[in-house]
Amino acid sequence: MIKFEKVGKIYPNGVEALKDVTLTIEDGEFVAIIGLSGAGKSTLLRTVNKMHDTTSGVLVVNGSNVAELNGKSLRRFRRQIGMIFQSFNLVNRTSVLKNVLASRVADMNLFDSLLGRYSKEDKIKALEALDQVGILEKAYTRADQLSGGQQQRVALARTIAQDPSIILADEPVASLDPITAKQVMDDFKKINQELGITVLANMHHVDLALKYATRVIGIKAGIVVYDGPASKVDNDLLRMIYDRELTDDDIMESNPVEI
Amino acid sequence: MEEKSRPSVEGKGVFSPQTFTLSNGSEIQSKFPVGTYIGIGLLIVAIIAMIVTGVDIAIMIRNGSNFWGFIGRMFPPNWTYFEKAVGPMIDTIQMSLFGSFIGSVAALPIAFLAASNITKNKIVLGTTRFILTIFRTLPVLVYASVLVLVFGLGTFAGTLAIMMFTFSIVSKILYENIETIDLGAFEAIQSTGADRTRAIIVAIIPQILPSFFSTSLYAFEINIRYAAILGYVGAGGIGYLISERLGWRLYDDFGMIFILLFIVVMGIESLSRYLRGRLE
Repeated sequence: MIKFEKVGKIYPNGVEALKDVTLTIEDGEFVAIIGLSGAGKSTLLRTVNKMHDTTSGVLVVNGSNVAELNGKSLRRFRRQIGMIFQSFNLVNRTSVLKNVLASRVADMNLFDSLLGRYSKEDKIKALEALDQVGILEKAYTRADQLSGGQQQRVALARTIAQDPSIILADEPVASLDPITAKQVMDDFKKINQELGITVLANMHHVDLALKYATRVIGIKAGIVVYDGPASKVDNDLLRMIYDRELTDDDIMESNPVEI
Repeated sequence: MEEKSRPSVEGKGVFSPQTFTLSNGSEIQSKFPVGTYIGIGLLIVAIIAMIVTGVDIAIMIRNGSNFWGFIGRMFPPNWTYFEKAVGPMIDTIQMSLFGSFIGSVAALPIAFLAASNITKNKIVLGTTRFILTIFRTLPVLVYASVLVLVFGLGTFAGTLAIMMFTFSIVSKILYENIETIDLGAFEAIQSTGADRTRAIIVAIIPQILPSFFSTSLYAFEINIRYAAILGYVGAGGIGYLISERLGWRLYDDFGMIFILLFIVVMGIESLSRYLRGRLE
């Protein structure tokens, strides 16, 4: 469970990225965060695993007060939270399998990680994760030889191999073409439903957000302006969140959003 | 009616910008030819430098022929001298190989401390860079001279000198390389709960390893030549024989050393080029 209570975040340069955010996300939910770029979506997501610090309020994730975590306790805490990035963030020069195994390195001793000596259990776990996203046959291919969609699946497998209870996805499909984007979103849905992992995703494309998420959080200038089921999001609401009509850029499919 | 004029070009673009006028009257000016003035400036500096340092073209032409005479006395080389030269030559290769290896390996962790995108602590960063700058200040021959005083004559001092030189250049090239890499994977691995050291190992080292090997091989290639002169200051290897044979005017012996050195340098350069090619 993720619980924000009046959480605020002011960057050192004075920019107020989050204001009084109060939210509760239950285990197993699929939540999309929508809003203009710069509205605070990324900041909100990154406070959950303390990639960014908060400056006020209380944030409790899986029973841990995030503000109090540091060093070893923070690293142990992060193992339960997977993260997916817009630019995939794979290690390009190494194989797909090694990329997935990289998520196991946190638990290994330094010497083994230096030599790349992963245990048999870790290898099987990594291969199973690759199988779950349908790219087992690519295990020994170099990561940079894969297409964008395949790379994002490797990233997803890396996260699954970590056994997280929450996955944070920062614009997971924004750099993919519409067809691949849907496939990757289907993978997210599958993981959410079959493994019961909570998914919290920043979505640039409103149509995908509404299609896949069960709950939508609209954020505008650091303030949560909508929090409710995806089915209740209508054009008026979107106009309020975005301060303008939606443009082609805000939707993945070229035809207008049907609500 | 639009006025149509012939397209024209004004100026040659050597000392001042060129102006192009198109048939519809649009004009565009080329950039100011900075290169011309830089060239003139460099020529002037070169002439001044020649005057100040007393380079005399006439002497170069007159005594230049002595050089060919010297080459003539090197050949035919004294082939029997091979037996004496081969031992020190192997010492030189060993000094270079061992010094390059240890120097490069030592440079790897230090390069991370000197990379501003990895080391956020300004004091650590500044101190590391300052020490590296000190390392780069001294030429390898000076290191060797000092180390001979400390450790005595021989290949040990030479190997240490090469090690320090290799360390100084590999660490610099490497940390500049680390600063240009994409930190996305590093962030991703940290988000899994790995500490910085482990994240560096799995996310950054694979990215810089090819350039690290390539730089180290290149350093080894340079070091063979440096190692050959270290004997001049008593730091072991073939250089000692070079200075001795030239001093005793045994030019045919030197001829043998020259051929040996030439083959070794050529061999190592092609090997290094081949290996670096394989890394791409």
